[in-house]
Amino acid sequence: MSSDFETYEQEFGTLTAEITSRIGKIPKLGGDEKKNMVVNVEKQLEEARELLEQMDLEVREIPVQSRGMHSTRLKSYKQELEKLEKDFKRSRIAYSDEVRDELLGDDGNSSASQRAHLLDNAEKLERSSRRLEAGYQIAVETEQVGQEILENLHHDREKIQRSRDRLRETDANLGKSSRILTGMLRSVSLKGLPCSYVKNSTKERMQAVFDTRIIQNRILMFILGIIILFTVVLAIYFSVRGL
Amino acid sequence: MDNSGKEKEALALIAEAEKKMKSSQSFFANMFGGSSKLEEACEMYARAANMFKMAKNWSAAGNAFAQAGQLHLQQQSKHDAATSFIDAGNAFKKADPQEAINCLNRAIEIYTDMGRFTIAAKHHVSIAEIYESELVDIDKAIAHYEQAADYYKGEESNSSANKCLLKVAAYAAQLEQYHKATKIYEQVGTHAMDSTLLKYSAKEYFFKAALCHFCVDMLNAKLALQKYEEMFPAFSDSRECKLVKKLLDAHEEQNVDAYTESVKEYDTISRLDQWLTTMLLRIKKTIQGEESDLR
Repeated sequence: MSSDFETYEQEFGTLTAEITSRIGKIPKLGGDEKKNMVVNVEKQLEEARELLEQMDLEVREIPVQSRGMHSTRLKSYKQELEKLEKDFKRSRIAYSDEVRDELLGDDGNSSASQRAHLLDNAEKLERSSRRLEAGYQIAVETEQVGQEILENLHHDREKIQRSRDRLRETDANLGKSSRILTGMLRSVSLKGLPCSYVKNSTKERMQAVFDTRIIQNRILMFILGIIILFTVVLAIYFSVRGL
Repeated sequence: MDNSGKEKEALALIAEAEKKMKSSQSFFANMFGGSSKLEEACEMYARAANMFKMAKNWSAAGNAFAQAGQLHLQQQSKHDAATSFIDAGNAFKKADPQEAINCLNRAIEIYTDMGRFTIAAKHHVSIAEIYESELVDIDKAIAHYEQAADYYKGEESNSSANKCLLKVAAYAAQLEQYHKATKIYEQVGTHAMDSTLLKYSAKEYFFKAALCHFCVDMLNAKLALQKYEEMFPAFSDSRECKLVKKLLDAHEEQNVDAYTESVKEYDTISRLDQWLTTMLLRIKKTIQGEESDLR
């Protein structure tokens, strides 16, 4: 009797081992293979259940005294079978690792991927720090350009102020000179000399006044020259006549 | 542009003008209108000079302008004479720098005679620039810049004066006249501090002054730096001030590497220009010199 039980136990053991390995393989397979495997595993589970029932009958035939050990073993086998069934169910639903890898791009060996990830990060940091430095340089250059511009502005400001003052001075001077010229014109016309130059612009008036003066001087010099020449000629004439 | 044609015209004009001048020497012409003859001759010289300029014959143009200037002087019209001399100077700049300087000097004399110091100062600056670039005579350039700065100061145009003084200081420092340079930089720096427009340039001037102090003596530099920080609190924030402090420390420890390190760091952010590199190199040599003395 118990030898039957033991044979059943051994068979149960092999079956469960096979079922476990097959359950492990199921997620990795796909399509038809998976179906076949699933069917196989179901058959094996059926066999295991039958074995358990027979073991149960055997245990009932054993007299009550030595039943305890066998019944506990039987219970543990039942639990194992249940667990296998649960695993089986889960494995049919769960996605396998390979399919996941195919979708997400084959990370393959995880430590290598981590290393690549770290390098990537380091490179990004490097790039951003370089960009920051370049930005800082540009800011400093901008500041320098701003300084120069401010200096130029200051310089130009002074120039403009000076020009404005000079302009005001010139304006005042022009007013004065125009008054003086009108005075001169009046005095010259009062003396009655030939200057009927009644012109409008200041420069022409000035030119006209000076021209009259210059011509006056020239005429005087000419007359003087003629007088001297005349005297010399007279002197010679008288001296010759005296002889 | 028919250049050779212009030249011939110009030469013809000059010949005519010379004839007029000679003819104007006679007695009768003097009585009857010698001055108008001279004026005509002047004008002819000016026209001839312009034609030479068109033909790019700079020395001939300069000569013609100089002649015109002479004639103007004879006619007692100083303004015109001075302008002709300036034109001559500009023409000569491209051909013969020495002649240009002569013409410009004569023009400056006329202007200072008339009391027009601003223009005289401007031309001093041009002469100094010629000395700087073409004849490379730094001493004379410095002298002219100083004159220009004095005239500008006299005419109350402080920014122009400061510009000239800065150039003087830069060259003086190059020639190792550190006291002069430091004084000028400090002066300009204090002046800049007060003006709202210029205060951003003030730190640069203090930096240069500190470097000049440094070239003379380290202790001077330290005292100067403290003084500047007191006067101008914003200075202590600037990178330049931090650089000087680091350099002082490196100098105290006689550590050439730290010195080079800090200089390089400053250089990556804002390039060091020619003047700064020379000064920093000199200071570095003093460190190395002292090191080798110890060995």
